[in-house]
Amino acid sequence: MIVLAYQFDWSIVTDRWRLFAAGAWVDVWVAVIGFAFACALGLLNALLRTSGVRLFTIPSFLYVQVMRGVPLYVMLLWIYFGVANITGITFTSFQAIVITLALTGSGYTTEIFRAGLSAIDRGQMEAARSIGLSRTRTYGHVVLPQAFRIVVPPLGNTFVGLLKGATIMSVIAVPDMVFLANELNVTLFTPFEVFAAVALILVVLVLFFSAIVYLLERRLRIA
Amino acid sequence: MTALLLTYSYDWSVIPRSVAFFERGLSVTVRIALFSVVFSLALGLVVALIRMAPGPLGVIGFVYIQVFRALSLYVYILFIYFGVAAATGLNLDPIPAGVVSLTLLNSAYMAEIYRAAIQAIDPGQREAARSLGLGGVQTFATVVFPQAWRIAIPSLVNQFTDIIKDSSVVALIGAPDLMYQTIERVSFYQRPFEFYTTVAGIYLVMVVIVAQLARRLERRLQRHLA
Repeated sequence: MIVLAYQFDWSIVTDRWRLFAAGAWVDVWVAVIGFAFACALGLLNALLRTSGVRLFTIPSFLYVQVMRGVPLYVMLLWIYFGVANITGITFTSFQAIVITLALTGSGYTTEIFRAGLSAIDRGQMEAARSIGLSRTRTYGHVVLPQAFRIVVPPLGNTFVGLLKGATIMSVIAVPDMVFLANELNVTLFTPFEVFAAVALILVVLVLFFSAIVYLLERRLRIA
Repeated sequence: MTALLLTYSYDWSVIPRSVAFFERGLSVTVRIALFSVVFSLALGLVVALIRMAPGPLGVIGFVYIQVFRALSLYVYILFIYFGVAAATGLNLDPIPAGVVSLTLLNSAYMAEIYRAAIQAIDPGQREAARSLGLGGVQTFATVVFPQAWRIAIPSLVNQFTDIIKDSSVVALIGAPDLMYQTIERVSFYQRPFEFYTTVAGIYLVMVVIVAQLARRLERRLQRHLA
């Protein structure tokens, strides 16, 4: 059996744990920044979507469909090569992956915010307005704080999704953990160890963040 | 920047000239997605049953689902195509490697969909069937599953849209799918914007069609249930 011919050498990974940690840090960091932008875009878009003005709701609807329907990988190359080519802006690969995650993520966050906003009873809005709060203040003090509790758990899941998606960044040479694993594989030819290590790190990270989401969900549950 | 935006001369004629490549790639993408969805529908049900089994078997199912839902397809495909291949001598071609990766990953998601659907069936159904003298397997196959299946179908079809999108990653290990052909054409014509916009549109159309199908199925099935 050929299995025996492969000499496992885990020291290749354990000796470089700092490099792997640094690589994983890049994945998390990029996912965090992409997620922050995705939330901002999503909230804005959800407000347009729930505005009731056709001029806003239709483009907002189409935006969501496109962002959720285009594969992350296609979007990444579209931004990094396509958009860069026609606009003359040369994105750094880091900017390209952040923009991609922000756009893809915003398709999901829009729907989450929309659901959160529309779950707040209209009476809340009417009551706040009738006691004299302005529209902005009504949103800021009454609607958004309540919607926040509803949107946090699904937003957390979106973040986890973006973290998984972020691992594609090595294809445009952002030096994350997958990029590192590829480099090590090319120079040392130890594919099993390096990719198993990366897979393991990703599983641990995702389960860690999922656990946080789960705890938040329990805490925020409306009694 | 704006200057270039206005001066960039688009050349969309490269797209009709590449139709043959799109067709070839599309047929590979569709084949990969279909095989993956069929296999993961079957494997997902098995995993769901294992997950719901009592004792250590249930724990194995739980771990399987947690691990595969936590991985990204890209990381997993690299592990299968390079890692496992080197360690075991099991050298899969790019297309089968893609199908295996997509199947294993999505079976975990599908298992959770099945599980939710099976748990949504009133326990009284099971009890009634058992008290009529049906065996455990028969109860599941003729009473519980047909009802759970109806609940699960829309979500399962939605999962299919994720499979279609995710399948673009197989281009990275050299499977000649839609994305792979597009990347090849880009390097041939040096027209990234035209090609990636087009391919984004093609994926979008596929996803919208499947999602629409899911919605229609959902409406039809709910009518039956009502």
